[in-house]
Amino acid sequence: MEKSFQIQLDEIREADILVGVPSYNNAQTIGHVVRAVMAGLAKYFPKAKAVLVNSDGGSKDGTQEEVKRVQIEDFKTILTSHPVHPLSKIVTPYHGIPGKGSAFRTIFEAAASLRAKACAVLDSDLRSITPEWMELLLRPVYEEGFDYVAPLYGRHKFDGTITNSIVYPLTRALYGKRIRQPIGGDFGFSGKLAGFYLTQEVWETDVARFGIDIWMTTLAIAEGYRVCQSYLGAKIHDAKDPGSDLGPMFTQVVSSVYGMMGKYQPLWKEVKETQAVPTFGFHYEVGLEPVSVNIERMVGNFRLGVKDLMELWGKTLSHETAHWLESISRLSDEAFLFPQDLWVRIIYDFAMTYHKGSIHRDHLLKSMIPLYLGKVASFVKENMRSSANEVEEGIESLCKVFEEMKPYLIEGWEK
Amino acid sequence: MGEVWREVIVDSFNKFLGKVATFLPNLLAMVTILIIGFLIAWIVKKFIFRFLKAIQLDKVSERWGLAEELSKRGLTYSPAILLSRFFYWVIVLITLIMGINALDVPATQNFIAHFFNYLPHLFAAILILIVGYLIALFLGQATLIAAVNAQMESAKILSRAVRWFIIILSLTMTLYHLGIAEKVIVAAFSITFGGIILALAIAFGWGGRELARDFLERLYKRKEKGKEGPDHLSHV
Repeated sequence: MEKSFQIQLDEIREADILVGVPSYNNAQTIGHVVRAVMAGLAKYFPKAKAVLVNSDGGSKDGTQEEVKRVQIEDFKTILTSHPVHPLSKIVTPYHGIPGKGSAFRTIFEAAASLRAKACAVLDSDLRSITPEWMELLLRPVYEEGFDYVAPLYGRHKFDGTITNSIVYPLTRALYGKRIRQPIGGDFGFSGKLAGFYLTQEVWETDVARFGIDIWMTTLAIAEGYRVCQSYLGAKIHDAKDPGSDLGPMFTQVVSSVYGMMGKYQPLWKEVKETQAVPTFGFHYEVGLEPVSVNIERMVGNFRLGVKDLMELWGKTLSHETAHWLESISRLSDEAFLFPQDLWVRIIYDFAMTYHKGSIHRDHLLKSMIPLYLGKVASFVKENMRSSANEVEEGIESLCKVFEEMKPYLIEGWEK
Repeated sequence: MGEVWREVIVDSFNKFLGKVATFLPNLLAMVTILIIGFLIAWIVKKFIFRFLKAIQLDKVSERWGLAEELSKRGLTYSPAILLSRFFYWVIVLITLIMGINALDVPATQNFIAHFFNYLPHLFAAILILIVGYLIALFLGQATLIAAVNAQMESAKILSRAVRWFIIILSLTMTLYHLGIAEKVIVAAFSITFGGIILALAIAFGWGGRELARDFLERLYKRKEKGKEGPDHLSHV
């Protein structure tokens, strides 16, 4: 921990609430996030001693200055009372592998040092955050005795495709808890859980990068902490090129999910059914920005994968699955369809190979990307005219397939 | 005359007995060396095999694609068996040479001295070859996956080019290390790769002018098209 950071923590001594905002070049949006946090804490927790920690990855665009600069001059203008304790702000660089997980580690350290009762972490590129998010993420921990609050958003039907096609159905089938956004990015958690996270030796792995979200969620479930979710409304974040991040994001998230499967295999093998988790917040429909998708490009990438990577996939997939993939790669763009049971079989086969370590893991996960793009293309094509509810039903049916095929995973796991 | 004859025979018989008496301990030494050597070779083979199994060499080589490559080339033994047998035969070879050396035959002395001087180079060369081959397999596969994810139609060609470049480079290094036609090897390597680069430059710069223009135009148009409607999918 940086010395100046420790000095600031020592000066504050202790806090009831800690809110962490990891950042890297988010000067455009972080001001709004910080204002929402300040207003939310003043409105819903005026008597609590709260601290905001900005854990920054060395921004060059004035992100840190923006966090220090932002103030709410008159709380009456946003219908909140003046807080009894003014919010303390700490802006600190994090150390270790550059990534979101390392930034979170610094936030956990601050939570442990200040003995915070309730904590929340928020993405710094959020454009749709409101002060109510503070109540929704913190109150279940602060007053209801929960240890972990996952977010529940209104999202565009084509948003969150790694979540919808892999992470949510797989986590649900494995651990039996229906947490809809296990890698949402905005979470609430208890100081006790933050302390537990800190004790884990994972900070040199993909958990230190994009793998942190699913790691936090899985640990909270698997270690028996009290878990719930809160409906936050729309999730709209800063526009960026998602294609540029897909490779590392995909491999780090999936690596984290598969890695946890190895650790918690005795647990998930025993889970036979799934349960809903308590949900807070008022559910309402939200208007969302349209999403444009290039299906042709994704199908093209899938076909190229079938042409060139089949030799590598053949070490993971059965002959039957490989033939199935070849046959769908020959379909025309109009007829292209990626069946759900084929997708689930692939996810389970790759999980088994990852566990056995018979193929270099980084290569294995990167080689999944064309398959994933094929699945996403099929999903977008199938749901082009579907409503959000119909899409949700489709995701629910995929989850059911993951659950039904779990014996296939259990059987193949130790072979 | 008979006396002289008898002396000659006795003398030559004594000389023969003297030589046998000198040679016999050497022969016994050779037999002893061979027995001990074979025994050590067998123990080392067993030890190395168990050690390689313990460090999961077979699993690692499977991960790196070496096991598959060996199997493609008809070698059905696992890398742990192959390596343990390799060391067995190296020790057997050394034992044989030491055995011959024990016979104290002047003709073999020089050869043996050379052999032992050369042995470290031989090991280093084999190591370069194995490591080079593993790196070639690994980087070839990494290139293939990266090129497919970058949607390059020629992903397989690129991957093979990377793989063969590293194999040839490691072969060159191996031969250079062994001191086999050093100058010829370096010259051949330079000429080959210089030639390939020149051929590519000419092919793309002259022969493929139209193709290059077409490629750049398509690339530019695709970028323009991309500007109009990029994906806005948020994957997580």
